[in-house]
Amino acid sequence: MIVAAAVCPSPPLLARELTGRALVLPELRQACATAVARLLEPAPDVVVVVGGAVATASWDPGERLDLSRWAPALGRRGTPGLPLSLGLGAMLLDEARYAGPRILRAVGETEPRAACVRLGASLPGLARRPALLVIGDGSARRSPAAPGHFDERAKPFDLAVERALGDGDMAALAGLDAALARDLMATGRAAWQVLAGALGDGPAPAGEVLYADAPFGVGYFVAVLDHR
Amino acid sequence: MAIVNRTPDSFYRPGVTWDQQKALDRVHEVVAEGADILDVGGVPAKPGDEVTVGEEIRRTVPFIEAVRSAYPDLVISADTWRHEVGRAACEAGADLLNDTWGGWDPRLAEVAAEFGAGIVCSHAGGLPPRTRPFRISYTDVLADVLEHVLSLAERAARAGVDEARIVIDPAHDFGKNSWHSLEITRRLDEMTATGWPVLLSASHKDFVGETLGTSVDNRLAGTLAVAAVGAWLGARVFRVHNVTETRQALDVVGAIRGDLTPARLIRGLA
Repeated sequence: MIVAAAVCPSPPLLARELTGRALVLPELRQACATAVARLLEPAPDVVVVVGGAVATASWDPGERLDLSRWAPALGRRGTPGLPLSLGLGAMLLDEARYAGPRILRAVGETEPRAACVRLGASLPGLARRPALLVIGDGSARRSPAAPGHFDERAKPFDLAVERALGDGDMAALAGLDAALARDLMATGRAAWQVLAGALGDGPAPAGEVLYADAPFGVGYFVAVLDHR
Repeated sequence: MAIVNRTPDSFYRPGVTWDQQKALDRVHEVVAEGADILDVGGVPAKPGDEVTVGEEIRRTVPFIEAVRSAYPDLVISADTWRHEVGRAACEAGADLLNDTWGGWDPRLAEVAAEFGAGIVCSHAGGLPPRTRPFRISYTDVLADVLEHVLSLAERAARAGVDEARIVIDPAHDFGKNSWHSLEITRRLDEMTATGWPVLLSASHKDFVGETLGTSVDNRLAGTLAVAAVGAWLGARVFRVHNVTETRQALDVVGAIRGDLTPARLIRGLA
């Protein structure tokens, strides 16, 4: 059984080296750190990092993000093709000084809901006490300055996600509309549906949203889900 | 290095800091804008009424004293070719002697050595102070610059000036036509390759104006372009009138070179 799950977003700016001298969004960083700390509290025997990517695939647990894709000046390190979401998830675990076993599992952002839920349902069986770090983002069309400009459907979509995370409502996550999510550039949809598949079978988890905002027009959620 | 001249008749915004209080106000501004060095001159480079040693001291030294007491840690440079003025300036707290006229008075370096001050070794094509180039030509202007400033630097070191406080300056416009100044800008890497720190003094100068066909009041963009190229090629000190704009230009060059971490990057990363 999944002992705990945490949800974090994946803006590249979470990587401290990418934002220059300024510490951007310290409150988001703090929320992520808190969520990962809570994830590790029950001492899981493995942490499964699930994040959206171009294609569904497993990645070697030793892989790290290659920041030179975003900032060539930093020089090549890490794994060139490692998806951003998995790389940032791995980074968050590193920042929490987690040295235990980890699994990096990418889910294609265009995977249909059923495939996502099925993938999620396979995760509890990977270990005796796995924890789940789910990396995904809300709509990138939350404001006129947003990467995808403004779409009036973005805020209601993100609010529905926030509510589902806070309520531990896995059915609501599983029910997210993939086409709408694509329209709204909400890249977290597939990963959240993996989460729904992983937690959806047992009793409803307790959810707590630590952060929900769109300071740069992209919806960011940080949440913790467990069976307290 | 911010310029605050104690003259009524310098070429750029003449007389703007002739009044001591206005000059001090300007110092407060340039320090707030991020200047690391203040350069104080009492004699314009162009020909004109004689400014005696006594008058040059009267113009600059009390001012240097006032700046020193207001800013104990600011590096103060005295722009003078005369050793008597250099001595009085060092006694008042100057840290650097900016010898723009290419070592015309050989005793200036001795004064720098005596006070533990730094010195700028520059190239003026052998012209006497306050004269203009007349049909001057060089087989290779940069070779001439290098030969001259390196010999001055070595002479200063032999006189006892701390080698870490010796700066070299090709001195744009001094003993040069505008082609020469463009050439030394283009080849500044040959100067920085010597290992001596290079000072670049091009602010609003004639070669910028002639290149653009603009009057003295419309040379800021050209000045910044020269600073940017100079920074790219490794210049270390920039003697300028416009501190904020120069800082910004140099910061962008620094970020391009990878020497400076940008301030705050969000674009495309949210």
